[in-house]
Amino acid sequence: MAMDYAKCAKEIYDTLGGRSNLVSAAHCATRLRLVTVDNSKIDMKKLENIDGVKGVFSNNGQLQLIIGTGTVNKVYEEFLNVSGMTAATKEEVKAAAAAQQPLFKRMIKALGDVFVPILPAIVASGLMMGLVEALGKAIPSFAGSDWYGILDLMANTAFTFLPVLIAVSAARVFGGNIFLGAVIGMIMIHPSLINAWSVGSMDAAEIPVWRLFGFFPIRQVGYQGHVIPVIIAVWLMCVIEKWLHKHVPEMIDLFVTPLCTVLVTAFITLGIIGPIFSTAESYVLEFAGWIITVGHGVGAMIMGALYPLTVVCGIHHMYNVIEAGMLSAADGLNIWMPIASAANFAQGAACLAVGLKSKNLKTKSVAIPSSLSAALGITEPAIFGVNLRFVKPLVCGMVGGAAGALLGSIFHIGATSYGVTGIPGFLITLDYTVQYAIVLAVAFGVSFVLTWFIWKEETEETEETGKAASDTTTASESETVQSEKALFAPIKGNIINRQAIPDETFAAGVLGDGVGIEPEVGEVVAPFDGEISSVTDTRHAVGITGPGEMEVLIHVGIDTVNMNGDGFELFVSEGDKVKAGQKLMTFDIAKIKAAGYSTTTAVLLTNSDDYPEFKIVKTGKTNTMEKVFTIE
Amino acid sequence: MQKFSYVIKDEVGIHARPAGLLVKEAKKYESTITIVKDAKSAAATKLMAVMGLGVKCGDTVDVEVEGPDEETACAKIKEFFEANL
Repeated sequence: MAMDYAKCAKEIYDTLGGRSNLVSAAHCATRLRLVTVDNSKIDMKKLENIDGVKGVFSNNGQLQLIIGTGTVNKVYEEFLNVSGMTAATKEEVKAAAAAQQPLFKRMIKALGDVFVPILPAIVASGLMMGLVEALGKAIPSFAGSDWYGILDLMANTAFTFLPVLIAVSAARVFGGNIFLGAVIGMIMIHPSLINAWSVGSMDAAEIPVWRLFGFFPIRQVGYQGHVIPVIIAVWLMCVIEKWLHKHVPEMIDLFVTPLCTVLVTAFITLGIIGPIFSTAESYVLEFAGWIITVGHGVGAMIMGALYPLTVVCGIHHMYNVIEAGMLSAADGLNIWMPIASAANFAQGAACLAVGLKSKNLKTKSVAIPSSLSAALGITEPAIFGVNLRFVKPLVCGMVGGAAGALLGSIFHIGATSYGVTGIPGFLITLDYTVQYAIVLAVAFGVSFVLTWFIWKEETEETEETGKAASDTTTASESETVQSEKALFAPIKGNIINRQAIPDETFAAGVLGDGVGIEPEVGEVVAPFDGEISSVTDTRHAVGITGPGEMEVLIHVGIDTVNMNGDGFELFVSEGDKVKAGQKLMTFDIAKIKAAGYSTTTAVLLTNSDDYPEFKIVKTGKTNTMEKVFTIE
Repeated sequence: MQKFSYVIKDEVGIHARPAGLLVKEAKKYESTITIVKDAKSAAATKLMAVMGLGVKCGDTVDVEVEGPDEETACAKIKEFFEANL
């Protein structure tokens, strides 16, 4: 069916009340998504009747017009023409609709999003590395053995190739092609480049340099152990890739876009980002070497505090140079090691405090092994996976690190080697066992206690708000619930896995992911602020659309459609706006049972495929308005 | 565009389970599949929209299929209706 895109766009534009009522426009596969100043000015009926518009609804401040695959983009282009707006991406529309978060917060969040998926790999490696290195120090004969060789290889693989893992994860977070991301990561640690870990011990003159056009220098140095430059490079790659996709004609897009993306990103990374970081690194290194000699431990204290930040930037691998320098000097003691050790141990303590205090199972399961790994001297999992994400534990850990480092300096602890910190550090501080133990204990204690009291799990607050909403069922109190993309229990009862719902279709997830609830009370309340998207004449099921376009089906009982509404009472109708906790429906548990049906109620996110992450946070006994699952 | 009309024979109409199966089937095709009942229409890939039509036994629905694979899609969807609804 040929359709007049221009006419359709023009009619939509006219119905919306002109340019002054428009904020932004974008489209997805089937819908034209608009943000308007005032939705109430718009005649929805008229919109729906426009030829080419298959449906209209508004959601989260967005007005969405269903137009259809293959046609929506053409209508969109015409719409931009008639309205005089510029193209916006879906993300931009979402951003315009949502309140803007401060830049710093978004950056920390991006860092966390990049790190969380790769945590299993680095937690495993961190623990193995800590154990293998400790054993190597404890039993000198083991260090040279074949066993050590093969275990060390297995342990350090994830760290050796960390930039690749980060690049893949970052490409996913920033919406680029993950394989191109992997290529960028691999370019940055290509074996033809000198390993970043060995650069520190080389003279500047020894480092080979490519000279492009005869003058533009690129040092042939890799990015082993780096985090931030990799994320920046991949972010850049994604920006370039998306731009090219938009501007390169489709015919040649498949080979032009990846080629140009990789080439441009790699040049900018090695040519510009690299030098900036290596210059910054050498300054930090010089600063670090200088500051620990300052004023009776004050400098050491400052370094103890700043140390985790240098880990975040990936500069810590340069410190071996400082330590090696100290050991080769006349008195030959490594006074850097206690500082690093205190800092690492404190981060581990902060992470442990989070792990013990958190009620979120996922946080717990990440934090506890991460803290163990940090106690063995490998802090990346603890810092990136836990502390940095919540910020406060990182800061508390910094204070603990500072306290430990100050003591270490006052005790004049000196290590006889380098390469291990934390508990294995005892092996290279044999003359100072007691002092070293005190340093670790203080760093641990300060950090743990501070974190325990200062850090509060954010989700707890929302849960409480959720409960408050169910008690009072007032509009204003449930606002926190709305801002989060979560579903709160619509029924009091026992939450079971979707797979355990006694109905094949529900259990198999044909209708989306979710949970079952064995109800104790025959009342259904709204699981979030939203709009009733469907009700049935038989009154036993209700569909509701909520935050983040979650479409949830609450289907009371199994096969209860056959009861034809007997025993069910519905309090809302299609299109009604409801507040979280508001009563939607009541049902007669006894009647359902008497009719021979199961009362197990399916609570399903019917569009769960649209979200990369679906997490069940509660099973078992629940009250209404307890958080059941979240999406991202 | 391909289209066909169909009278629902399933006792419960296009309710949760059949609707879920229909959506799953409709998602297999590139074409846009629209279910029309009286003045209301819904994209067949949207479960809530499909259920929102409130199609009951004995109702007549029009199914419109439009897109690159409309011929196969239409035939398959028709088969699906006959087998399940």
